[in-house]
Amino acid sequence: MSDPIIYTQALTRDFGDVHAVDSLDLAIQPGTLFGLVGPDGAGKTTTLRLLAGLLKVTSGSATVAGFDLATQAEAIKPHIGYMAQQFSLYAQLSVLENLQFFAEIYEVPRADMAERTERLLTFAGLTEFKERRAAHLSGGMQKKLALACTLIHEPKILLLDEPTTGVDPISRREFWNILTDLYAEGITIVVSTPYMDEADRCSEVGLLYAGKLAMCAPPEQIRGQIEGEMIALVPAQWQAARDLIEPLPGVFEVQTYGEALHVLVDNAEQRLPEITAVLTQAGIDYSGARPAPTRMEEAFISLIRQMEA
Amino acid sequence: MSFRRLRAIARKEIHHIWRDRSTLILVLLTPTALLFLMAYALTVEIQHVPVAVLDYGRSATSRNFVQHLTAGDDLDLYAQVDSPEEIDAMLMRGEIKAALILPPDFDEALLSLQGLPLQIIIDGTEPESGGFAVEHMGQRAEQFVSQLLAADLQAAGLSANALQPIDLRVRTWYNPGLKSRNDLIPGLISIVLGFPALTVALTLAHEREHGTMEQLMATPVGRSELLLGKMVPYVVVGLLNAIFIPLLAMLWFKVPFNGNFLLFFGLSAVFLFAILGVGLVIGVFMRSQAAALALSFLLIFFPGFFMTGIFFPTVAMPEVVRLEALGLPGTHYAVITRGIFLPGVGLDVLWPYAVMMFGLGVAFVGVAALFFRKKLA
Repeated sequence: MSDPIIYTQALTRDFGDVHAVDSLDLAIQPGTLFGLVGPDGAGKTTTLRLLAGLLKVTSGSATVAGFDLATQAEAIKPHIGYMAQQFSLYAQLSVLENLQFFAEIYEVPRADMAERTERLLTFAGLTEFKERRAAHLSGGMQKKLALACTLIHEPKILLLDEPTTGVDPISRREFWNILTDLYAEGITIVVSTPYMDEADRCSEVGLLYAGKLAMCAPPEQIRGQIEGEMIALVPAQWQAARDLIEPLPGVFEVQTYGEALHVLVDNAEQRLPEITAVLTQAGIDYSGARPAPTRMEEAFISLIRQMEA
Repeated sequence: MSFRRLRAIARKEIHHIWRDRSTLILVLLTPTALLFLMAYALTVEIQHVPVAVLDYGRSATSRNFVQHLTAGDDLDLYAQVDSPEEIDAMLMRGEIKAALILPPDFDEALLSLQGLPLQIIIDGTEPESGGFAVEHMGQRAEQFVSQLLAADLQAAGLSANALQPIDLRVRTWYNPGLKSRNDLIPGLISIVLGFPALTVALTLAHEREHGTMEQLMATPVGRSELLLGKMVPYVVVGLLNAIFIPLLAMLWFKVPFNGNFLLFFGLSAVFLFAILGVGLVIGVFMRSQAAALALSFLLIFFPGFFMTGIFFPTVAMPEVVRLEALGLPGTHYAVITRGIFLPGVGLDVLWPYAVMMFGLGVAFVGVAALFFRKKLA
């Protein structure tokens, strides 16, 4: 294993009395696609801003791309591409002009500019819109252009703060396909996300809770962390069914997904007939009762519940 | 400092101004429009003040006197009334600004040369018009009395010249017609040309509000590259205004321009550098456009009106205020604009003011660069 490209030791940032980021220890290897997940207010944005050198460190230390965060923040900047949560492009500039602007700011060699902008436009699927003003792009296209702008100087590290929030599912998938391509190229990516299906696509996931790193592991390991097995079913009256199932022996918790229930139990094979028996007895119809694989989402909610308890 | 980055920021800013119609109109036309409005609104030339007269004397002389009083453009006879109550009512309704009451023994009092017991009532809610009326009535009355005496003396065979021992003639230099617009407009230029400073403060705050500043902070762009890059386009816009505005003053308001235009243009560039420095300081410290706007009025326009000596002479101010006024680029620029317009003086006289402005500009830009942090909080 090589040295971590992002390394933090007891990294802390306070806002008044609040520890927004609290003694964070992170070691991210080069080439990782690192997903930063956690509830709102857990410190995801603060962590990314700290790593981008945009906030003063209260205590602790960190190195990014080999430079010290406290003393060499400016030296880090040519090596990172940072995309803020409220990323806003220059609305009056065209797609191409936005790219060229950031190319000039990063002092991309003039000889490379044309080739790089063309390549990124193709990469982001924006070639046919290159003359369009950023103000007139759809939300999804704006995000892709923003990503292209952060890539213009070929950074080693990408720091992306909830890049797909508020984007339609198709654009979201396209965006993640691009990220996966970048991951394949060997760029280190740290991306925060509220979506668990996105966390599942990362090579490593860090769960932030109240400014602390609650867990840090590959997704399959996080899913495996969860105790017990999952049963999915769609009852006719889900509220009544939930109230019936929750107190049953061997049931850890019941999560609702629309009209479907996901029941976490100690042993799916044993508990499935017991649960269906209770429902039948109460006269509640149900369909699709089956053992189900645990997903990131259940694992995440379950972990958060454990920490809140 | 990278010239390439500075140019990228400046070019982006010019695109922003040029492509956004409202910004374009705001920066190109507002200073000229402001000057136009203020020149009309603030020119203080009082004329045709309506007055009422209550003549208890009712003689040929008193009628002559009233006629003489209202013969000019300054005072208009609104009504001849018969009772003080009528005067009261007219003042209350705002129909007249002043009233004159002549005593029953007007003729005797006039001839006795013991002084003329005239009663003048003015509307105290409008002291300017009232004071103006008192002053002008006094002058007219004096004229009337001396003319009358001169006629009497001539009839008695004496020379009327004997009555005028002092020949007082006031001459006003630089502005022979004493037209207050000629005086006011060059001064006003120093206020309206400060307008680009407001815009530069707003654009910095705008980038903060819209998150583009956060993006820029994460890039290697230098503080001075960013600030100077922001400033350059507004210097250009300001200089365009420095062409329109003297043209408006000369062609529309007929203000004489006796100095050198290139000198005016060059010193305007120095002023723009200094005042945009103030704008940068505001933009660096204020996080929202609303706050930047409020502070701009407080630091740029408000002192422009009250402290730079355009309306109120600086010599009449307490020393502290005078020292503060020296720290405002507008104070020096007002001296320059007035100097170049009317007496038409050159750099031999104006250089200290130019040096002061340049020094202030360096100081303001320095403060802005020093306190601008590439950190969010």
